Amino acid sequence: MPIVSPEFVNYVPYILKGALWTFSLTFGGLGLGFLIGVPIAVGQAYGGKIVKTLLDVYVWFFRGVPLIVLLFLFYWGVFPLVFGVKLSALLTSIIVLGLRSGAYQSQIFRGAIESIEEGQMLAARAIGMTKAQAIIHIILPQALRIAIPGWTNEYAILLKDSAICFTLGVLETLNRTRYVVIATGEALIPYIFAGIMFIIYTYGGTKLFNIIYEKVQIPGLIKSGGM
Amino acid sequence: MGKDAVLRVEDLHKSYGKLKVLKGVSFEIRRGETKVIAGPSGVGKSTLLRCINLLTKPDKGRIWLEDVEITKPGININKIRQRIGFVFQEFNLFHHLKVIDNVMIGLTKVKKLPKDEAFRRAKEALLAVYITEDLWYKYPAQLSGGQKQRVAIARALAMDPVIILYDEPTSALDPQLVGEVLQVMKELAKKGVTSLVVTHEIGFALEVADELMFMYDGKIIERGPPKEVVFNPRHEITKKFFEKVGRLYGERR
Repeated sequence: MPIVSPEFVNYVPYILKGALWTFSLTFGGLGLGFLIGVPIAVGQAYGGKIVKTLLDVYVWFFRGVPLIVLLFLFYWGVFPLVFGVKLSALLTSIIVLGLRSGAYQSQIFRGAIESIEEGQMLAARAIGMTKAQAIIHIILPQALRIAIPGWTNEYAILLKDSAICFTLGVLETLNRTRYVVIATGEALIPYIFAGIMFIIYTYGGTKLFNIIYEKVQIPGLIKSGGM
Repeated sequence: MGKDAVLRVEDLHKSYGKLKVLKGVSFEIRRGETKVIAGPSGVGKSTLLRCINLLTKPDKGRIWLEDVEITKPGININKIRQRIGFVFQEFNLFHHLKVIDNVMIGLTKVKKLPKDEAFRRAKEALLAVYITEDLWYKYPAQLSGGQKQRVAIARALAMDPVIILYDEPTSALDPQLVGEVLQVMKELAKKGVTSLVVTHEIGFALEVADELMFMYDGKIIERGPPKEVVFNPRHEITKKFFEKVGRLYGERR
């Protein structure tokens, strides 16, 4: 019995199309996580005690609960029962990935913010900026640049985590591969193929972020930023 | 309060926990004057400067900027700080901004000036500290220490402050770069920019300061015309200090 059924070749485009879903999950989660992570990081770095504690609880929750549990909890619990809405599997997955990634990203951004020497904030305040102005115009433009390598790593992690969303039926790369395995009756080549696709997506995205990182770099920033 | 006093400090106290850093400091500066504060490390000189623009909150005592008491509760400190220039020992230029933007950002974001007006003022300030156009589009990391500090002075100057506070502005510089910064500071002082300078550079004090205040143990223990304080001090501590820094800095002007 041959390992590769000639049939598999016909399914390749079907699996490749999963990239659309895989990237929707990854970039959706990454983007939402960014919108959540940056304010959390700012709150943790500059907020009062109560704010910090609340944010700690958020981070602690989303970092502590397995992704698959979060997916089930939100898809069958939180959205329908608490908020009374039935969201699609894709949308639920993006939101859950984003909420969770926000917790992780906040720690990347917080580290970057804290690596910026105190003098930057002092100088900003000394020319009359409010704390908020200083954060927006001085701290974040530096911190976000410093955070790109950590953020690239988050992309790589999120990309692979997105595969778990097959459990809700999202037609991403892994789920499609599973269907092909069922249809063709052979498992080895399809899964190897899926694995290779994930490697390529990881490599390609990482490369892209590295280019962006180089593009927005400023002489001396990383060195003085303490990384 | 003296009629033209730009800054008046009255009985300033500051402690960090049990450590009393300022134990009642009072002085005033009139428009156009330059005063120098000297003294050994750790006697509260930097704390004093930071209290004046309220980067550090004093525990007790009052501060007036022109005729406004800035230590009064409810005062908008951001408005006050726009009018007090501050030059740090470590320059603290904004790393992610080019030279011109370092000087412009306070004008556009804080003073809300239109871009062209901000640019015109930044240009003027940079030229006043001899930062020429070839350096305007470089990042801070591409400048020498002396250039960085001059840009930092321009950043303060561009805001059109009523006074500039200098916190040991030459202490982080390589010796051969100190001169260019002092030169700029002297010129500004002679042009009538009111200045309060914490420094060990006796030459600067002797040449341009209207008064030299010697700080020790959280207080100003001696003050007067620089020549008198340096060459004819009343206190033993003052005498020892200036003998020591004289040996270190004496050969340099």
